Amino acid sequence: MELSTTEPTNARFDALYRENASDVFAYAMTLLRDRAAAEDVTAAAFERAYRRQASYDARRGTRRAWLFGIARNAALDELRRRRRSAALLVDPEDASGAGSSGDDGGEAAVRRAAVRAALAGLDPRDRELVALKFHAGLSNAEIARVLGVSESNAGTRVHRAVTRLRKACHAPS
Amino acid sequence: MRRRDLPLDPEVQRGLRELDAALAAEPAADPDLALLVADVRAARPEADPAFLAALDAKVHAGFAAPGAAPRRRAAWLRPGGVLFLGAGGSLAALLVVVIALAGGGGGTGGEHGRGSASVSSSTASALSSESASSPESAAAAPQQAAEDSSASKSAPAPAGGTETVAPQRRVERSVSLALTPPPDEVQDVADGVVRETQAAGGYVASSSVATSDDQGSAHFVLRIPSAHLDDALARLSKLAHVGSLTQASQDITATFTSAAERLADARAERTSLLRALGRATTDRQIATLKARLAENRSEISRRKGDLAAVARRADLATVQVDVQGTGRAGQHTGGGWTPGDALHDAGRVLEVSGGIAVVAGAVLAPLAVLAALALAARGAARRRRRETALDQAI
Repeated sequence: MELSTTEPTNARFDALYRENASDVFAYAMTLLRDRAAAEDVTAAAFERAYRRQASYDARRGTRRAWLFGIARNAALDELRRRRRSAALLVDPEDASGAGSSGDDGGEAAVRRAAVRAALAGLDPRDRELVALKFHAGLSNAEIARVLGVSESNAGTRVHRAVTRLRKACHAPS
Repeated sequence: MRRRDLPLDPEVQRGLRELDAALAAEPAADPDLALLVADVRAARPEADPAFLAALDAKVHAGFAAPGAAPRRRAAWLRPGGVLFLGAGGSLAALLVVVIALAGGGGGTGGEHGRGSASVSSSTASALSSESASSPESAAAAPQQAAEDSSASKSAPAPAGGTETVAPQRRVERSVSLALTPPPDEVQDVADGVVRETQAAGGYVASSSVATSDDQGSAHFVLRIPSAHLDDALARLSKLAHVGSLTQASQDITATFTSAAERLADARAERTSLLRALGRATTDRQIATLKARLAENRSEISRRKGDLAAVARRADLATVQVDVQGTGRAGQHTGGGWTPGDALHDAGRVLEVSGGIAVVAGAVLAPLAVLAALALAARGAARRRRRETALDQAI
């Protein structure tokens, strides 16, 4: 999504914001499964990142990974504070959008509904990995930085999550 | 937190390569995986444009007032900075202690001045009720007592000699003062003792000074008017480091009164003899009375001497001054606060500060370790709670 930035407050942060705002929201939404909460977390994550720009250390990973680490903490804090998980198993807006983006009609819609259901049935940790890999497009090294694990561990987790997702997609409903 | 990186399983490596190929939309990617990627991406939640516009505005506003620069929390406000806040508070408290100690006991230049001042004040307060008045009045007192025949026999005839005036107390004071200058300054200190004694109106009753290249000593017996004793001691104490100062006082009012009474008796006897001489009629009586008058004159003279000696004991204090050239070079203060004194005081402050820093370090180091452990445990617990929250999510 194109975001207008006519008067950037900080060029580097502005670029980071423009490149990642939608991805951070998608990630938060996948974790929380609550649009309002995801918006709050997205805003809180960027505000924290803005105020903590000086704490970023390039030796410890990319700026993107640093931002998603902040977003993850904000999302988990939200989960802890609310003491509840997202109530929506399927986002109505996403469901409505799925049909319109199909390439060959009903078959694609059915397939994507199956994917959506499989995603909803995934373990939260696997769902998080799918969001980081598919929605945010992070590399395994960046995912490792976000989760605080080694790169090989992150790669293994991603591989397992995708394997489970594929199985869930092919499982009879 | 990075864990140790282990080599990936070959099958996992292959699966990740295929996934990356599908994500990159490479032609050689696994068709099923590419389809999955497309379907998952299609299910990606999209943000509401209104929300993004609002967030965009917040970013432009710097998440605060327009134009506000990104603020960085003060280091001591960060979680890891709590330790430094505590340490800073402790150091500030220690600094206050250092300043207090330095101000309370560091001043070499004023040390003797303060010391002697306190001695003077305490001495003055202790003796104020019993010390003699001015030497002039004290010296005049026995004469008046001797000449005032109407004075009370039990009182030493103070000025005026009226019975409403309380008997004047007579106190003999003696002081022993030990000075410890550097060996090469013994002669200067000895000269100073004589000079200050004369300035106080006293005199040197006896003295002995012995100096050599590397040592020296002197001993003085001074007689200083009691009224000027405190001032004289203060000045003498400034000549060199005071090793010791001992003061004693003895009430000799009874001795003085007794001497005065004996003089009065002798005078009364003289009066009586003179009257008898006036009434004598024979040559023998006259000769006998004249002989007794002659004896009486001698006795009166002796009694006057006794009374004057007792009066001198009260009027002049005895001060014994021992000067031993054993003090360290540079201890001589000479009264004023010199650059040397300043250097000494600065060294003393650093000495005390260093000691306090060592003690503070011994106290703070374990506290710092505990604080670091507590912070690490707090961080770990927070991470654990967050991960638990994710596990509990649906």
